[in-house]
Amino acid sequence: MPKVTINDRTVEVEAGTNVIEAGVKVGVQIPHYCYHPRLTVVGQCRMCLVEVWQNGKKLPKLQTACSTTAAENMEVRTDTPEVRQAQAGMMEFFLINHPLDCPICDQAGECGLQDYSFKHGVAFSRFQFEDKRTYPGRERIPLGPNVILNMNRCIQCTRCVRFTHEVSKTGELGFFNRGARTEIGTFPGKELDNPLSTCVVDVCPVGALTSTRFRFAERVFYLDKKPSICTGCDVGCNITIEHRRGDIKRYKPRFNPEVNDYWMCDYGRSTFERYKTVPRLRACRMRGQEGEKTGTETMGSWKEALDLVHRRLRLRTDGAVAFLGSGFLTNEEAWLAARLADYAGSPHRGVPVDLGAGWTIPNLQGGITGTELAPNRRGAELFLRPGSGIELEETLGGAGNGKEKPQVLDPDELLLGDGASKCAVLVVLDSDFGRGAYTPEVVERLRRAQFLVVLGWADSPLAKVADVALPVATHAEKDGTFVNAEWRVQRFNAAFPAPGQARSTVEALADLLGRFDAKWAGLTADKVFDRIASEVPAFTGHTWHTLPATGSALHVPGAHTAMSDAAAETLPEVS
Amino acid sequence: MAFERVLTRNVGNRDALTLDGYRKTGGYEALAKALKMEPDAVIEEVKKSGLRGRGGAGFPAGMKWGFIPQKDPNQPRYLVCNADESEPGTFKDRLLMEHDPHQLIEGCAICCWAVRAATCYIYIRGEYTKAAAILERALKDAYEGGILGDGVLGSNFKLDMYVHRGAGAYICGEETGMLESLEGKRGQPRVKPPFPAVVGAFGAPTVINNVETLCNVPHILVRGADWFKSIGTDERNTGPKLYAISGHVERPGTYEHPIGITFREMLEAAGGMWRQGTLKAFIPGGASAPILKASEIDIKMDFDTVAKAGSMLGSAAVIVMDETVCMVRSVARLAKFFNHESCGQCTPCREGTNWMELVLKRLEHGEGREGDAMLLKSVAGNVGGNSLCALGDAAVGPVKSLVERFPEEIDAHVRERRCPFPEYRYF
Repeated sequence: MPKVTINDRTVEVEAGTNVIEAGVKVGVQIPHYCYHPRLTVVGQCRMCLVEVWQNGKKLPKLQTACSTTAAENMEVRTDTPEVRQAQAGMMEFFLINHPLDCPICDQAGECGLQDYSFKHGVAFSRFQFEDKRTYPGRERIPLGPNVILNMNRCIQCTRCVRFTHEVSKTGELGFFNRGARTEIGTFPGKELDNPLSTCVVDVCPVGALTSTRFRFAERVFYLDKKPSICTGCDVGCNITIEHRRGDIKRYKPRFNPEVNDYWMCDYGRSTFERYKTVPRLRACRMRGQEGEKTGTETMGSWKEALDLVHRRLRLRTDGAVAFLGSGFLTNEEAWLAARLADYAGSPHRGVPVDLGAGWTIPNLQGGITGTELAPNRRGAELFLRPGSGIELEETLGGAGNGKEKPQVLDPDELLLGDGASKCAVLVVLDSDFGRGAYTPEVVERLRRAQFLVVLGWADSPLAKVADVALPVATHAEKDGTFVNAEWRVQRFNAAFPAPGQARSTVEALADLLGRFDAKWAGLTADKVFDRIASEVPAFTGHTWHTLPATGSALHVPGAHTAMSDAAAETLPEVS
Repeated sequence: MAFERVLTRNVGNRDALTLDGYRKTGGYEALAKALKMEPDAVIEEVKKSGLRGRGGAGFPAGMKWGFIPQKDPNQPRYLVCNADESEPGTFKDRLLMEHDPHQLIEGCAICCWAVRAATCYIYIRGEYTKAAAILERALKDAYEGGILGDGVLGSNFKLDMYVHRGAGAYICGEETGMLESLEGKRGQPRVKPPFPAVVGAFGAPTVINNVETLCNVPHILVRGADWFKSIGTDERNTGPKLYAISGHVERPGTYEHPIGITFREMLEAAGGMWRQGTLKAFIPGGASAPILKASEIDIKMDFDTVAKAGSMLGSAAVIVMDETVCMVRSVARLAKFFNHESCGQCTPCREGTNWMELVLKRLEHGEGREGDAMLLKSVAGNVGGNSLCALGDAAVGPVKSLVERFPEEIDAHVRERRCPFPEYRYF
C-alpha cells in the first residue's frame, strides 16, 4: 500500500488509487470536472492539475491528479502559485465561452462552474472584446424524453458520453466536431432513452443537461434535502428527497456502493409524482353507523376511529379477520400489523405486490435487478406471510382440537377470489398497495367484507369505499426500514411532517395495539426495530441507531422461498 | 562539404519504385543483415547510431524500441509508422514515400524484427493519395517478392504490413490520437501514461516512428552506426536530415543535408531569398516551432542548438519570410490552423487556441488594444504545458515568439489601428 503525501498530509492508500481519491482521504479537495469515480479517466478538463514530486524530484509539468496514480515517495502539492495559476487559467477558459446565464439556469446553486470559480477563479473577465462562441439553435435540444441539452453551457467534459458508453452501455451520446466547435449530441436516428438516462443530468457538472421533469421546477438552493430510500421497486436505491415545505421536487440518487452506487433509474425518479397526482387522505373517515354499508361519511378524530376499529376487531363473529399488507409497508409496520393479527387470532395475512419491468441498477458487484413495484415485499412478508399465526389460533382454543385447519385467505384469494365475503373485518394496511386498489373489480371484491378498514396516504378508490379510512404518512413522512431484493435492510427517516391528521402507520398501529395491551402504546419506529432485532433472528445484532448508512445484509441467505421458511421459524413465541 | 545523399538517393530514379529496381540499388540487404542479427543487437546498433526521431520531438529511436516489453513472446506487438504528415510547411515524408517506398518498407521491417512485432501499420495522411497508391503497390510487390508475409526473406519471421489512410485531421499525427484513429475511434489523443510502448494500438505495446526515422534504419545497418555518427554536429545530433524549405526562397523544396548545417547554408542551397528580398524571420521546424529572427541566420539546424535558441527543430519544415511579411498576420494564420485542428477534448487547447485566434484576428483587423500583447502571452502561458497532448504546446509556440521577438509589430498594429503591411487575402 503506497504512502503518498498531499500538501504535507501523508496517507496510505490502496495501490491504484489516484491522487484525487487520495486527497479526499486527507481532506484535500482537488477540483475536477471530467473525473468521475465510475467512469474512465480521460484527463481532459485539466482542472485537477497538481504539482507532483517523485523521489524528491519535481516533474517538469503539472500533472492531472485524476490520471496520476498515488505511488510510494510521491509528494503532491495543490497550493503552489503554479497550481493556482493553472486552476485560475482553466476556470477562465471554461467561462469565456460560457453564457453565464445562472439566473435562468436550473443548475445554479449546485453548479461546478459556480463552485470552482468562487474558489479558484478570478473575479473579472479578460474576454471582453471578442464574441462568445454559441451554438445557435442548440440551446434546448431534447436528447430524449428525460433530458434536455443546452449546448451553450456545456464544458465538454464528456462525462455524459462516457456514462452512456460505460454504465448504461447504450451508447446514444457522442462527441461531434472539433476544437472550439465541439459538441455533445445523440448519434443520428438515436435518442437518449434508456432506463438510466436521467443519470447523465446528475453527472453533468454544469447546466448543459437538465432534467425534463425538474426543469424550472425550483431553485435548488431553496430545496431541503433529506436522505431516503426510493420506493419504485425492490432494489432500494438510496435517494435524497429534495422538497420545499413538503412539496417534493425531485429525487436524486445518493451514493451507496452496496446498492445503487451513484445511479438510479428514471422510473424511480418519477415515483414521487404519485404523491401529487393521487388525492391525499387527510382525515379519519367513518361511514355511518356501525355495520351499515351505505351510511353517510363522517370525519372523526383518530380516537373515535381507532375505538371503532378496536371494537370491531374484538367482536368475535363467525367471519374471518384478514390483514392485507403491502410491499410499501416498512418492516416495523408489518411487524406491528402481525401483532395486531395475533390479537385478532388471525392467520389470514398476505402481501400483494405488482411485478415491474425488472430494470437493473449497475453497481460494482454487477448490479441489482428490481422485479417488483414495491420496496419491501420481502420485509413485509417476513411478518405477514399467509398462514403465519395459524398455530396461534389453535392454542387460543378458538378452534377445537379436532377441527380441520381453516382455509387461509391469502392475497390471491382476497384480490381475485371471493375471500373478502368471508371476512368479518378486512384490514387493508395500505390504500395504495398496488394496481389492485385502483381496479374497480378488485375494489368491489374487497368491499364484500363486512367491515373494511383501510389505512393509507392515498384516497384511492379502495379508501373511498372503506368503512373506516385512516390517513397515514407517505414514506417521505415517516421513519422505517426496508429490505431490498438482496435482503439488505436499509433505514430511512422522515423528510418532512405529514399533513393534516395523517400520522405514521407505526404510531397508528401502536395506538390501536395499546387498546389491547397498554405495553404497546406509544411505540415509535426505532423502538419497534429494536424489538424486532431482539426477537427475530434475521435481525439479530442490529439496532436502529447502529444500522450502517449503507444498510446491512440480513442473516438469512438466498431465495425468497427459503427466506419465507426461515421467516416462519423466526416468528415470536406467544406470551 | 561534399555530402552524398542518403535518404533521397533514389529520388529521380523511377526504377526504385519497383522491387527489382530497389534491389539493384542495394535494397533489402539491410533487412537480410538484420535478420541474421539478434533483435537486441539491432536495437543496440540503432541506439549506438544516435538516431533521433525525425517526427518532431527528437526522441532517440533506439531507446524507444528498447522500451517495448519483451517478456511474453505471445503478446502481440505493433509498429505504427507515422506518415500523417500534416503540419503546415512539412512535405519531407511525402517525398520519401512517393519516390522510394521500398526504403520505408525495409525500415519498417527491420524495426519490426528488432521489437519482435508481427504487424506494421503505415498510417498515411488521407490527402496523400498518390503516396498511398505507390505504397500499396510496393507492399504488393514486397509480398509477392517474399519480403513480407509468412517468411520474411526465407526466414521464419512473419510480418504483415498495411497502409491505413487517415481521414484528414492534424491531431491524428499525434501518436495516441493516431492509435485511436487506427482503432476506428474518434481521433483524439489519450491521456499519458500509459505510454504507447506499454499500452498502444489495440492495447498492445506499440512503437510509433516517423517515416524519415524508419528510412534511416536500413542505412545504419548497412553502413554501421559509426558512419552514421560521423554525419552531424555532435554525439546527440547525428545523421542525414531532410529539410523542407518553403516561403520566400528561390527554390522551395525538400533538401537533404547533414544535420547541423547552418540556416545560411541551407538558404543558399535553396537559391537564396526570393527576388533578392531581405530575410525577416524564419520558422525552423514547422508551424508549431517558435519563430526565429533574421539575426539568428547562422544557427546550426540541429535538435539541441535550435532548442537552445528557444525554438525547436521539430519536423525541420523551414518557412522563410521576407520583409513584406506581417508577423501578426502570419501568426494569426497559424493560430487559425491550430484552432481548427484542436480536437476539442481538453480545455486549455480547445478554448485557448480559439481565444488566441480571436485576439490575433482583432489585432490584424486594426481593433487591437493596449495590453493585447500581455493578454496573448498570458493565455499562451495557460495553454502551454497544461494541455493533454502536444498540440496545445505547439499552438503556443508561434504566439509566444510573436510577443517576445516582435513586440514592435503588435505595437504598430495597435497604434496605427490597422495592419501596416500590404493587403493579402488571407482572411
